[in-house]
Amino acid sequence: PAPGDGGATGLVAARVPVLADHPLVRGPRFRRLKLGAGHRLDVKASGVFVLGIGHGNKLLTDLYNCHLTKVYTVGGLFGKATDDFSDMGKLVEKTTFDHITREKLERILAVIQGTNHKALLLHSNIDMKTQEAYELAVKGLIRPMGKSPPIITAIRCLQFTLPEFQLEIHCLHETQQYLRKIVHEIGLELKSSAVCTQVRRIRDGVFTLEDALPRTQWNLQSIQNAIGNCQLRVKREIEKTIG
Amino acid sequence: AMWRALSGALGGARRPLPALCRGLAKPAGPRGARQLREEEEAAPLFQYVGKAARRQDRVFVWGFCYSGALGVPSFVRPDAGWKKPRRVQATPYRLETEEKISSAACGYGFTLLSSSTTDITKVWGMGLNKDSQLGFQRTRRDRTKGYEYVLEPSPIPLPLEKPQQTRVLQVSCGRAHSLILTDSEGVFTMGNNSYGQCGRKVVEDETYSESHLIHQLKEFDSRVVQVVCGQDHSLFRTKKGAVYACGWGADGQTGLGHYNITSVPTKLRGDIAGVNIIQVSSYGDCCLAVSDEGDVFGWGNSEYLQLASVTETTQVNVPRHLPFKIGKIKEAACGGTGNVVLTEEGNVFVWGYGILGKGPNLIETAVPEMIPPSLFGWSDFNPDIRVAHVRCGLSHFAALTNRGELFVWGKNLRGCLGTGRMEDQYFPWRVTVPGEVVDVACGVDHMVSMVKSFT
Repeated sequence: PAPGDGGATGLVAARVPVLADHPLVRGPRFRRLKLGAGHRLDVKASGVFVLGIGHGNKLLTDLYNCHLTKVYTVGGLFGKATDDFSDMGKLVEKTTFDHITREKLERILAVIQGTNHKALLLHSNIDMKTQEAYELAVKGLIRPMGKSPPIITAIRCLQFTLPEFQLEIHCLHETQQYLRKIVHEIGLELKSSAVCTQVRRIRDGVFTLEDALPRTQWNLQSIQNAIGNCQLRVKREIEKTIG
Repeated sequence: AMWRALSGALGGARRPLPALCRGLAKPAGPRGARQLREEEEAAPLFQYVGKAARRQDRVFVWGFCYSGALGVPSFVRPDAGWKKPRRVQATPYRLETEEKISSAACGYGFTLLSSSTTDITKVWGMGLNKDSQLGFQRTRRDRTKGYEYVLEPSPIPLPLEKPQQTRVLQVSCGRAHSLILTDSEGVFTMGNNSYGQCGRKVVEDETYSESHLIHQLKEFDSRVVQVVCGQDHSLFRTKKGAVYACGWGADGQTGLGHYNITSVPTKLRGDIAGVNIIQVSSYGDCCLAVSDEGDVFGWGNSEYLQLASVTETTQVNVPRHLPFKIGKIKEAACGGTGNVVLTEEGNVFVWGYGILGKGPNLIETAVPEMIPPSLFGWSDFNPDIRVAHVRCGLSHFAALTNRGELFVWGKNLRGCLGTGRMEDQYFPWRVTVPGEVVDVACGVDHMVSMVKSFT
């Protein structure tokens, strides 16, 4: 229609889709994401895994220096010993286990807790002869604030049905292989043998299973919500410990 | 031509099949799941524990070695030329004993172990024997002489009327004398008697070393159920709840109303007259007694504020009731300068002088102060932990929990605490013993513990 005086025909704006705005042409909005990982988690283990995005990576270092305890549920099986302490390894020995009772297991766990409590006090680098060391020991706040060997702060038996058992372990500076080794040593101490079937981290400092996102929720909205929920707790914890 | 014909004949016919020719060796591939399972089922089953497996009873010792009180001769006289004598055993060391030891006592440089067996040998002693506190230990070379230091647990022959029926219930050791309590033949006393602490008349210029004399005490109002040795005095508690004392009294530790020596066990009066006493304790010059209603009575030396809550005098020679408002008291233990009590709720209270267990700032107090239960392993995670027993050495304390853990604190004299370090311990510290600690005996510079193994 020709341009000219008004009439039935005039200029009509027609919108044609511009290819430059299409996401397949433009590309993903976030091309580079700075993603940092918190405490390591084994291939054979599962559970809470803390990640930091962008500016949160700085908080990761602060959280590491807070030296907070992590909680694991460790499942074990009496009756065999393998070379890598898990049930998928090469069999080393098979033993009987019908003499094991829950009471014997709890006794061993009490001793493990006792010796690790001593290690906790020893590696915290506080002079035991001072009054403040006494006050911190009374409140239970003595903790190694630097590098130390793995220390178990609390351990208890959740389930015990021969030959399987499940333990809840609170620990510091540990690796999952160390926890499997602890299961193996518990088996040895009870004059039998044990392998570890499951290691699952249920708490890492301030992050618990409720805050963790399962595979189906790995999208932007859920991640933003999760970060929002935990922000305050993380800030408070860092302020309390480091100041 | 012949070769070519042969190869032609063979080559033309057939090439050897690939399966028949041997290639280079290859590593075994991953075994399938079924193969793994079959291998596992075919593996032999080992049995380390049979049906009759019981928990073993063991004895652990630690502390100063040169007196021989630990009972391990290789610490004093090494068995190999390159080994050096060990002055201090800083961590628990297992002592092999022939029988199950039911009672142990540590004196000043010597130890007595006793078993409740009906065999002839019921009591073993080791350590210092200069006053025959371990009886007469005949030397191998000369039948008339006795050993001054006994390095190994050696049997002590007791003059029993019915040696195969009487059982030894308890032993106790003081500075240079020891008491052995039997179930039907009274109390046997040996050792130094210069203050009448053995319950017999003091003989002037008596030589106590290499003496064969073991005195027997039977005249009490009822059967004796507990014997306690102080430094130079002896206390006897009878079934009816009465307390008898003999020995040195210059600090009033005999509690008989005077400051003289007593050489015959005499009944105590004062505030405990008519009271049913269920436990007596002493190690230095102060004594404590607990009644069945949970009251505590004290007498003896009070130079270190042990009895300052009732009196200003430094020597109390009559038992006085100590009016502490800390609850019903279950057990009490007396040390050289400090005292400790355990209440029915499982709380531990200390008072006196020295390292009391509440940090370096608390050096002396006349009123009992509670040690927080969190120091004994109590927490929200373990709310059932309670202290079951308290014991006292000369300048250190020990506490046993219901889980079988041993906590020590106090002055670490020549490694007597057993923590592995030589420093003093100002608050309760766990001693790692490979077993559940059932009982512990504290001495001046060494300790003995009776332990049940875990499995």
